[in-house]
Amino acid sequence: MVRVVVKNLVKKYGDLQVIHSINFSIEDGEFVVLVGPSGCGKSTILRMIAGLETVSGGEIVIDDAVVNDVPPRERDVAMVFQDYALYPHMSVRQNLGFGLKMRGAPRAEIQAAVKRTAEILQIETLLERKPKELSGGQRQRVAIGRAIAREPELFLFDEPLSNLDAKLRVDMRTQIKRLHMAFKTTSVYVTHDQVEAMTLADRIVVLRGGVIEQIGAPADLYGRPANIFVAGFIGSPTMNFLSARIVANGAGVAVAPDGGAPLGVPKALEALASRHVGKAVTLGLRPEHITNAWTDDVRDALAPVNVKVELAEPLGADTLIFSKIGEREIVCRVNPQASARVGETLALHANMSCMHLFDAKSGAALTVS
Amino acid sequence: MTISRRALIADIGTYVAFAAIFLFFAGPLLWLFSLSIRNSGEVYVSELRLLPKEPTIVNFVNVLHHPLFPIYLWNGLKLSIAGAFGAMLFATPAAYALSRFRFKRRNLVMIGLLAFQMISPLVIMVPLYRYMDGIGLTDSLPGAAMVYIAISAPLFTWMLKGFLDGIPQSLEDAAMIDGCTRWGAFLRVILPLSLPGLTSAFVLNAILGWSQFVVPFILISKPALLPIAVGIFNFQGTYSQNSTQILAAASVLSIIPAVAVFLILQRLIVGALTAGAVKG
Repeated sequence: MVRVVVKNLVKKYGDLQVIHSINFSIEDGEFVVLVGPSGCGKSTILRMIAGLETVSGGEIVIDDAVVNDVPPRERDVAMVFQDYALYPHMSVRQNLGFGLKMRGAPRAEIQAAVKRTAEILQIETLLERKPKELSGGQRQRVAIGRAIAREPELFLFDEPLSNLDAKLRVDMRTQIKRLHMAFKTTSVYVTHDQVEAMTLADRIVVLRGGVIEQIGAPADLYGRPANIFVAGFIGSPTMNFLSARIVANGAGVAVAPDGGAPLGVPKALEALASRHVGKAVTLGLRPEHITNAWTDDVRDALAPVNVKVELAEPLGADTLIFSKIGEREIVCRVNPQASARVGETLALHANMSCMHLFDAKSGAALTVS
Repeated sequence: MTISRRALIADIGTYVAFAAIFLFFAGPLLWLFSLSIRNSGEVYVSELRLLPKEPTIVNFVNVLHHPLFPIYLWNGLKLSIAGAFGAMLFATPAAYALSRFRFKRRNLVMIGLLAFQMISPLVIMVPLYRYMDGIGLTDSLPGAAMVYIAISAPLFTWMLKGFLDGIPQSLEDAAMIDGCTRWGAFLRVILPLSLPGLTSAFVLNAILGWSQFVVPFILISKPALLPIAVGIFNFQGTYSQNSTQILAAASVLSIIPAVAVFLILQRLIVGALTAGAVKG
């Protein structure tokens, strides 16, 4: 198992710079997910760690050794590709054993590793088939098997579940998580799906335009996003953003969204809000924090929000209500017992202890200090 | 007009067009075959008839009994195979580089390959002859084969590049991560997968080499070294003035191998021509 450190990493294609001096580390045994929209550079970073792309600036350090000029075959990494990259002319058995064969392992060791891997991934019956005779899920398991058969120091995953259907994606996600819990190999996982990031990661690196927006545990990113981009990217449905102004009234401090009634700020957050009275801000509230069912511990932080139902999406366990405050569309998550006919007005409450305030211009999260 | 009537008219029009195109290309071949089965009295008759009144195979017998004819065939085979094989040796790494590597002026190299391909060999034949003569490679099969290779390599490269473009780059990435060098990834993964494309391009280039006339005509004068395309030409001077039917018979015999190979391997050949045209 290894520790990976990325220092001031830069990547340029001619005059076009795509990675802008980023820094992060992956600790021994950690599962780190690089997440971001298409074109943010996450796959480029992964490929540089693998040695498949050259480094334009900065360093990649694996286990205290700078590996910028070390070829992929000498970095002891294994990679799972988005399109599986199984060798079409080889059987599953040969695919699984290829890495060990290239490293000169004895035949008995290769056979044992293939058998062990096949048992773990339950692909023993597929060993003599060619990749074209496998389903998408089977191919992906073989691709993962090819990576783990070698028992490398570092696993790299490049959007491995993108080509699978929704149900299979959930199954494979669970399998990857179980494998990591079993093997505890240092892993770097690239995805554009924030659900995968939240469910798999020990820590998440959120990227945009070749720059790191925030690094943190899933709960940190979810509960304390550093800016509007992270707040909107993490969480599904996405956070509601409302242009607002902080106002002080006799009862205390309130956040007044444009076109909506002021929402009182709970005492715990008054210090934060009162520093920005009169200021234009962006109020962020997650859909599950505008709802009709609350526990007693948050009653003091509830602010009433009446919403006119424009659209209702029943999900079974919840119902999503689409409405507006002023001109801005909002999404609320209510329990399925709530009557949600189009045109009807629902009396909901916003849990203001979970509100997020962002600078209206820069989008940065406002903090007390 | 109903849809079915319109479809019928379209079908009829399609077949008429096919028939016209067929006649345009097959017409000369049919006339060639007709000449080859005529006796000397029927060669210059004024009436237009494909089937002569007294068809005969004696022309074919005469050609096959000619002592140099099998040598012409063998030379043609050697040159076409050597040319295609040599072109493959040069074209394969070139096609791989053009397909996989991003280097400065890559597009210029590819356009240059195409541009040079368009230059007719006739344009360079005189200086080429002087050059080859100067280094002692005229009247030699290896010398002619070198020119065959030079002429075939650009086309071979283009065909193979199209085929390699269809092989995902992630396969080489996976092989290099699994422990291969780039050369190892090429040998163990890319080359086996590109065998169909290689075979197709090889066959097509060999067929084109079989019909090559200008290069051996200029560079080779010894009868025993001539390939079939030029050897047929010499049939004209071998016999008496009424040698048209002999020449026709020799021509028919010379195209039979190429046509046979094309018919047997047409799927491979079409594959070589259309490689890379469609994703997937």
